[in-house]
Amino acid sequence: MNRRTFIKILGLTGVAVFASRFLNRSVLGSIFPSPGTPEGEGVASEKWVPTSCLNCATRCATRVRVVNGRAVKVTGNSLSKVSEGENCARAHIGLQVLYDPGRITTPLKRTNPKKGRGVDPEWAHVSWDEALSEVSERLKTLRGKGQPHQLLLLTGLNTVSAEDIVSRFADAYGTPNVISADGLGNEADKAGEWMADGHYTQSAYDLAQTNYILSFGVSILESYKPLARSLRMWGKIRRERPNRAKVVVVDPRYSVTALRADQWLPINPGTDSALAMAIAHVIISEGLYDSDFVERWTAGFDEYKSLVLRDYAPERVVAITGISADTIRQVAREFAQTRPAIAWRGRGATSWPDGSYCSYAIFCLNALVGSIDIPGGVIYQDNPEYKAMPEPAEDNIAREGKAKPRLDFRRTYRFPVAEVVTNQVADSVLNDEPYPVQVAMGFNCNYNMSAPGAWRWDEALGKVPYYVHIAPFISEMAEYADIILPAHTFMEEWAYDHSPPGSGFAEVRIKQPVVKPLYDTRSCVDIVFEIAGRLGGTVGQSLSGIGDDAQGFVRYRTAALTSWEKLLEQGVWVGPDYKYYKYADIFYTPSGKFEFRSGNLEALLDETGQGTNGLTCLPHYEEAEFLGDSSSYPLMLSTYQPLLNIENGSQNYPWAQEMFLVMHGTGWTNFVEINSRTARSLDIGDGDMVWVESPFNKIRAKARVFEGIHPRVVSIASGQGHYAYGRWSRGIGVNPNEIIGVDYDRLSGQAAFFNTRVRVYRA
Amino acid sequence: MVIDLDKCTGCQSCAVACKAENNVPYGSPEEHERRTAPFWHKVIAVSHGEYPAVSIDLIPMPCMHCDDAPCVTVCPAKATYRREDGIVIQDFRRCIGCKYCIIACPYGVRSFNYKEPEEREYHRPDLPPDRADRGVWPFPHRVHGVVEKCTFCFHRIDQAIKDGKKVGEEVVPACAEACPARAISFGDLDDSESQVARLLASRQWLRLREEMGTSPKVFYLPK
Repeated sequence: MNRRTFIKILGLTGVAVFASRFLNRSVLGSIFPSPGTPEGEGVASEKWVPTSCLNCATRCATRVRVVNGRAVKVTGNSLSKVSEGENCARAHIGLQVLYDPGRITTPLKRTNPKKGRGVDPEWAHVSWDEALSEVSERLKTLRGKGQPHQLLLLTGLNTVSAEDIVSRFADAYGTPNVISADGLGNEADKAGEWMADGHYTQSAYDLAQTNYILSFGVSILESYKPLARSLRMWGKIRRERPNRAKVVVVDPRYSVTALRADQWLPINPGTDSALAMAIAHVIISEGLYDSDFVERWTAGFDEYKSLVLRDYAPERVVAITGISADTIRQVAREFAQTRPAIAWRGRGATSWPDGSYCSYAIFCLNALVGSIDIPGGVIYQDNPEYKAMPEPAEDNIAREGKAKPRLDFRRTYRFPVAEVVTNQVADSVLNDEPYPVQVAMGFNCNYNMSAPGAWRWDEALGKVPYYVHIAPFISEMAEYADIILPAHTFMEEWAYDHSPPGSGFAEVRIKQPVVKPLYDTRSCVDIVFEIAGRLGGTVGQSLSGIGDDAQGFVRYRTAALTSWEKLLEQGVWVGPDYKYYKYADIFYTPSGKFEFRSGNLEALLDETGQGTNGLTCLPHYEEAEFLGDSSSYPLMLSTYQPLLNIENGSQNYPWAQEMFLVMHGTGWTNFVEINSRTARSLDIGDGDMVWVESPFNKIRAKARVFEGIHPRVVSIASGQGHYAYGRWSRGIGVNPNEIIGVDYDRLSGQAAFFNTRVRVYRA
Repeated sequence: MVIDLDKCTGCQSCAVACKAENNVPYGSPEEHERRTAPFWHKVIAVSHGEYPAVSIDLIPMPCMHCDDAPCVTVCPAKATYRREDGIVIQDFRRCIGCKYCIIACPYGVRSFNYKEPEEREYHRPDLPPDRADRGVWPFPHRVHGVVEKCTFCFHRIDQAIKDGKKVGEEVVPACAEACPARAISFGDLDDSESQVARLLASRQWLRLREEMGTSPKVFYLPK
């Protein structure tokens, strides 16, 4: 090699090195940055991270595109089968959750001892060590006094791993008081299924194969979980098969689901059970029911049948429901003859004082047409088999603490069937019932906004001597904290997750950090590990050896499913295909069959000491009791959740805000929707400011004269009315929970949202 | 583009995904009030009838990419033009901000960028800078005082063609990709084998404001 060649090669290499530096940076951008482009422009690094969403409990699998260390785009994960790789609009909002400029950046300590709505807590920044040692000291002292049951743990929307770690912590610490937000969700739905077949869970439906959906107050396209699955299946059953499924929606309000359905039945609020029983009347009296299934796999049919035939002829329920007998017959015949058909119940029908019975009445329709564990019918969700944790170490303090009655009175005379009675806890705290609460910890909850009678939560949290709030942002509830521990958002943390029942087969997703945490925050799971470690003793023992931190915990719990590397790469694990017709194994009832007369309920009421009569254990209609008399408060207040009401307790997301009310083509607000005839009679025009006044409180809101609502109902979307926080959420719209009274489904303790009466007048 | 209104669930994933993909700034309550909030794709609501015989249509509204686009005709600066493949594009460097096109558009799908340049919240360093070879691309710096609109995500389409991928199958605009009901299909209308052509052959379809003679390229399949 002579000198000239050497120099040539050197030169070429130099060019190559120079070019490759730019080429590496230019997956999408141009090689030479245009003039005026600041340093760091263009794509220097790009990756797609499989993780999952947490803007609602569906917790969809997602993939996030990260460019130059910044998350820029969310898409579905095609390996997820629950929603067949799809997401809803909420998933995209995840970017604004992560980059919300108002997030809490360090632990905060209250310096103003006064607590109350609108009172500035005067937050001071403190270190994690200081915050955690203060919290642990409090917990240690309480436990040392032998009063671990006086610790109240409140949870909102969390990852499944955080839920699991919180309940394990509670077990080890010794408190029976883990209160989830489920009591504000669809507990009555669950109780209805439990009465019939012993499963206290949300029902799952085999949507892809169904031919007829009869929805009672279900917000299929806006809020019912798993939402993205419903949206995907909607497309499928309408136009991706030769036979298009028919959808009929029973709802006093013309919802997005109703407008996309084939038929809307504007029912009188709170009378869905009467309609369900009348539909049963038509099916039974015309002999349209599945007699094979009924004979082989059900019990109590004769009693049910005679009740239905005696009391629920279509003509007799017309006055109750406001739906004509002809329509009832038409729907009943279609439902029975267009199989497989499903009768689907949701909050609109069941968040009422007789919610469990209503839920039971609707659920029984499925059994009448044999839609139990068949393709296109009700199915029984397989749960993912996470690796079991060893029994927690328990000392006497824990055992005695857990044996104490619970603050929410579940499974007592008051709420015999309940699994959790979220809204009762505010009153229990206020009345020291059955004992006072010394310390409370809230994980991503915001009951001061989301629970009816919201003002009671303000009072209750003002009363709790020591409250620790754990969330990524300030909220109405966080304002009452003595310490705030800032949590990661879901794009920064490790977790495992699954959806509520819906798919039939099991599916697990993981969360893995998409970007480095932006601030000095920690995941909920790590926070619990850290506190347990500081408490030591049996509490520390119970939380050791199960992974030791959030990532390790995910790895430990998913070890039985698939390899770790594969899980990281794919983000999801999908279980075996669903198996139908498991009649011998699915009925957890005294008869081992589907029960039209609930043996489960009878046994339980025996235990809790309620008397029973001929109707108690049968599905039936009860006239709703309202809060407020009809002469002073002539209208019924209902609420609904728009899809872009993000469920994490914040609403500080401009994308969600500007598209908030798709039906009204508007955003940045919510309305009091009022029927045009009613509005005329009250001299209210579209856009007028009005007072909505219940016996408890009143709010000032903008009226929207709307044709899609029952004349005796006014409706307000949930999700707005934030006052504590948020450049994009504070001061926008109103929160209907500030005027809704407190009532419950008598059996399940589900908060009744829809039986408050109001009057509306111009402001 | 073909949008199946029988499959559409009104979830607005299309509208949000468009904002994320194209770095379209979000609006504010004030802009909303003045109807100046920028959207390249928005779901609108149209209601008819009286209770209980009410009906509301929710209609996803991207740019219709008309063959005879009034916006192209009226633009005095030739800033908006139709590409050979039919996509109607806005050239930000030529746009003088006169808003004739906004008035001329029968579909109201054009937005004026009122945002001040210092509003950097929507700054996105990851998006490709100007690419003079195929029209002017607004990113990463948006241009204050010009009109913006849906591009059918031409950056995706151009890249797909460059990579030899199938447009309409492997690569679609962000709104179509994000639709959970799979109601939005995209492809070559002239190719009778494409999904869009097959859908139009199999179902009744309509186009918005057909009477205006714009010959829009977004087709809707009603219930």
